[in-house]
Parts: sequence; structure tokens; C-alpha cells
Amino acid sequence: MSLDWQGAINSVIHHPLFGIGLTLGVYQMVLAGYEKTRWIFLQPVLVSMLVLIGVLVSCGIGYGEYRKSTEILGTLLGPATVALAVPLFLNLRRIRQLFWPTLTTLVFGGVLATASCLLIGWLLGADQMILMTLAPKSVTSPIAMLVAEQIGGVAPLAAVFVLITGVIGAIFGPGLLSMLKVESPAARGMALGLSAHAVGTSVALQEGEECGAFAALAMSLMGVSTAVLLPLAVSLFV
Amino acid sequence: MALRGLTWLVLFQLLGTAVNHLFLTILPGPIIGLLLLLCYLMWLGEVSAPLSEAAGSLLRYLPLLLVPPAVGVMAYSAEISKDFWAIGGSLLVSVLLSLAFAGWLMQRLIRRRARNEARP
Repeated sequence: MSLDWQGAINSVIHHPLFGIGLTLGVYQMVLAGYEKTRWIFLQPVLVSMLVLIGVLVSCGIGYGEYRKSTEILGTLLGPATVALAVPLFLNLRRIRQLFWPTLTTLVFGGVLATASCLLIGWLLGADQMILMTLAPKSVTSPIAMLVAEQIGGVAPLAAVFVLITGVIGAIFGPGLLSMLKVESPAARGMALGLSAHAVGTSVALQEGEECGAFAALAMSLMGVSTAVLLPLAVSLFV
Repeated sequence: MALRGLTWLVLFQLLGTAVNHLFLTILPGPIIGLLLLLCYLMWLGEVSAPLSEAAGSLLRYLPLLLVPPAVGVMAYSAEISKDFWAIGGSLLVSVLLSLAFAGWLMQRLIRRRARNEARP
């Protein structure tokens, strides 16, 4: 009697739980590896992404199918964003104390983050569509996708650039800030949240509560101001 | 219990979605939900234990929640490889530049404020 191995493998791979199981398993393995080595290039989001893409491609599963089976994780991202209000509230006193430094850094840092990206992309020869998709890369993906679409970019691609930005910030951010002797948790959080949004904020939360609160603050302020000002700026200049 | 906290978070997200649909299409629902919850907490003056428990556990898994959208890179490999250097270069340089600048500026401003406060 011969067992139908191929069929069994196929029904496992295409089970609606396969994507979620795979993501949970890979993430935990990567996290364990990261905690053991503390090697910055093992940044959990980045390595999980690479391993998952490898597995999906070798199993012949398209992104559409994977996306569908991990929908629940994407749905939880909403309440997780809302949950950032808690560390924000807990550090409100400190934030009020540092109101003007925060606002000044937001304005100059935010403009630099967006303008430098556009300038370098333009110099390196990216076309208009790619540039407009790159512009909102420093804000959380839901805002970035909306803004990109509004100014003539591609929404899903914007989400990808946002993630790449976040991962770069998470890998090099803490080291770069220490190298520049930026030790105040408020300043570190502000820098991480402003330039690397949610991924930066998750790194900042690991550094401490004050750092995480300023990252969450920077992320939401950057998101709100980009959503309002970027389409306006683009309609003026382009 | 964390379940009650989670219910609050979901409720504020849904509220945010309603506001987004009604008046503020430019901001996504979760961000409006964040702002609404912050206002509510300020009005309340404290965070209840279930809410802080739920928020804490969700935020601990924030990186995990970001993994599936990151895998989306695979769907756009053609567009990305076409403009690879422009995309990679501009993202890398601008992130590092803004990170360094924002951290440096904020730290300077905080120090200056501390010095001003120390002087009577």
C-alpha cells in the first residue's frame, strides 16, 4: 500500500493555518537566536522576513496566499497601534517638560528625513513614481500607503519601503546613537520613532519605557504631520 | 484580566475607524484611535490594570505583527530590482542621516534646557 505523501504535504502547505504557524515558528526561532547572540544583523523582523520568503518560495506559495492566512496578525496591528497611547500617557509629564525640544526636533528631523530621501533618490535616477512612493517612508505603513496613493505613488510598494526603512533604523539606530553619544532616553526614542516608525518604536520599547514613549510620540507626530503636510508640499512643488 | 483591556483597545480602534470614515479620511483609524485613547486616559487621569496589561502584551509582540507586511517585499521584487540602487541608497542614507540628526538635536536641546533650569 502506498501512502499519498505528496497530497498530505500539499494539504498541510495550503492549510489556512500554515502561514500563521510558519510565521510564529520562524519568529520565535529567530528571536531566540537574536537573544543568544545579540548580533545586530540578526534584527528579528529582517531575518524572519528573509527566512519566510525562502520557505514560501521553495513551497511555491505566493504572497497573496500567505497574506490571507496571516490576516489575523495584520488585524492585531490596529489595536497594537492604539495601545501605544498607554506608554505615551504614562510619560506625559516628561513629554510636557520637553515640549519645545520635541517639537523642534520633529520639524527639522522630519523635513530632513523626507527631503534627503527624495534628493538622493532623484540624484540616483529613480523615476517619479518611485520617488513619490519613497517620500512617506518614515511613517507607519497605514499612513504611508494613504499618502503615497494621494501623491501618485504605489501603496503596497510604499509599505515595503516603510518596512525597509524601519529595519535599517532598527539595525543601525541604537549603535549610531551610542556612537554619537546620544544617551538621553528621550532623545534616543525621538530619533528612533521619527525616522524608523513602528520598527524603531519596538526597538525603543526594549531600551526602556521613557525611550519607548518618546518613540511612540515621535511616530504619531511624524505620521500626523506627514499625512497633512506632505500632500500639500507635493502639490506646491510638483 | 487582559481580555477587558483588549476589548477597550479594539473599541477605540473601531471608534477611530468611524471617525476616519466620517470626517478625517486623511488619518488612518488606528492613529485616530491612539489619539482618542490618549485623550480618554488624560481625562481619566490613570491607566486601569487590564488596559496596561493588554497594551503591554500587545506591544511586546509588535515586531511579530510587522513580519507579514515585511514579507510583502517578495511581491515587488521586479520593481525594486529595477531601481535597486536609487531605492536602497536613498533609504539607507536618509534614515541614518535623520536618525543621527534628530538624536543629536534633541539631546542638545534637552541639555540646554537643563542648563537653563539649573541657572536661577
